[in-house]
Amino acid sequence: MSAPPRRSAPARRRPGRAIEIWLIALLVALVATVQIRSQAEVEKSLVGTDTTTLAFLLDDLHRANDALSAETADLQQRKAALQSGGSSAADRELAAEATRLGAIEGLIPVHGPGIVMVVDASGLQALDLQDAVNNLAAAGAEAISVNDHRVAIGVPIQQTPSGVTIDRALVVPPWTILVIGDANRLAATAELMTQQMRGDRRVRQATYRVEADIEIRAVITQRPFIYANGA
Amino acid sequence: MTRDRILGFVVVAAVAMATGFLVAGQVKSQLLTPSNQVARYQALVHSVQDLEKTNESRRAQIAALRAQIDALEGAAAQQSATTQALQNQVADLRAHAGLTAVHGPGVEVDLGNGTPAPSEGVQIGYLINYQDVQDVVFLLFANGAEGVAVNGRRLTPLSSFSGSEGEVVIDQGPPLRAPIKILAVGDRDRMVVALGAPAALPDLRDREVRFQIVLTISGKPDLKLPAYDSSLQIPHVSTS
Repeated sequence: MSAPPRRSAPARRRPGRAIEIWLIALLVALVATVQIRSQAEVEKSLVGTDTTTLAFLLDDLHRANDALSAETADLQQRKAALQSGGSSAADRELAAEATRLGAIEGLIPVHGPGIVMVVDASGLQALDLQDAVNNLAAAGAEAISVNDHRVAIGVPIQQTPSGVTIDRALVVPPWTILVIGDANRLAATAELMTQQMRGDRRVRQATYRVEADIEIRAVITQRPFIYANGA
Repeated sequence: MTRDRILGFVVVAAVAMATGFLVAGQVKSQLLTPSNQVARYQALVHSVQDLEKTNESRRAQIAALRAQIDALEGAAAQQSATTQALQNQVADLRAHAGLTAVHGPGVEVDLGNGTPAPSEGVQIGYLINYQDVQDVVFLLFANGAEGVAVNGRRLTPLSSFSGSEGEVVIDQGPPLRAPIKILAVGDRDRMVVALGAPAALPDLRDREVRFQIVLTISGKPDLKLPAYDSSLQIPHVSTS
């Protein structure tokens, strides 16, 4: 019986070692694939938006859709009223619509619950007032006036050498901002706004109070369209 | 030790080292991305997408209802001079409120995201935000705009702008992201001059230089603006 040739041992061990290497290579490939796929999946789903932003977005969309539902219900009622009656029903609906649109466009005096904000500062710019008006509008403001000047989107708020103007009328601080709308939402926004303003060195006073019934007498004089035509 | 064996050790060592690096990298980047975390995230995304679909269909429903009401009012106005006068008054008010589509000369303002500047740290100034849109819209209205739409969304006297990083939320619509197209019908020449003034839109101009934000302005002979298609409720306002 002869001893097995020495060279035959490595020949027998080669398949085992090859399997080890292949297993490790397979493991590497597996980990790499998992890593790349997970990363791609996260990137694809995130689309650059974090969960906090998504949560706020959900909240905003719920509120927006509720508002759209309310509008739909209101429009369906108006449609039913128009369908049920003749011209007298149409007159009632049209008169109510004219009043509602007049209030929205700031053409008639209005009153209702809301907040009164007072801001006294030196050096405030038109951009500051535009920001304030926009923040309040985003908080559900339904009518706004500043120092007895009615404000809505479309009313020019501009910076001039003399100071800030609303529809070309100078508004000198302190600014008293009357806002009608959901008092709770407006108060929450006003709290944040006044807190932030108090951190500004230019601001001497930034306060607000909630009132059950605020009267806004100031109105906007509507200008007829010159350039815009009905489509 | 044979040459083959040494080679084998080297290969195994290299592969083991690569595996080690990969595993370490994976752990470091929290790659064992908990699948339930992704699932939860995707559930949130799906909720947002569902709500956006609902939003779109409700806005379409509102637009359809307004058209039906308009037709019913028009039919009633044929029967009475009083109704006709009221309808004309309401038509004018609706036009000013952005509730009817209009067209005419105007300007188109395009806003696009820039590129992050490494020297500016983690600033997000390269993204177009809601305040940029707000600034442009206020400037347009102060300089002869009679109607404005942002990415096809018409503005009303009660419109507002909000949003977070790179997002622009207008009224009850879903969030918009750059590129943003603002169309304004009105005094075209006045608006073009105002937008082109060096002192106008200082923040956007500054970021145009720092982050290559896109800001282009062009006068147009005839632009079309759609009607507003969302809620215009004022439940807290009384007129009497």
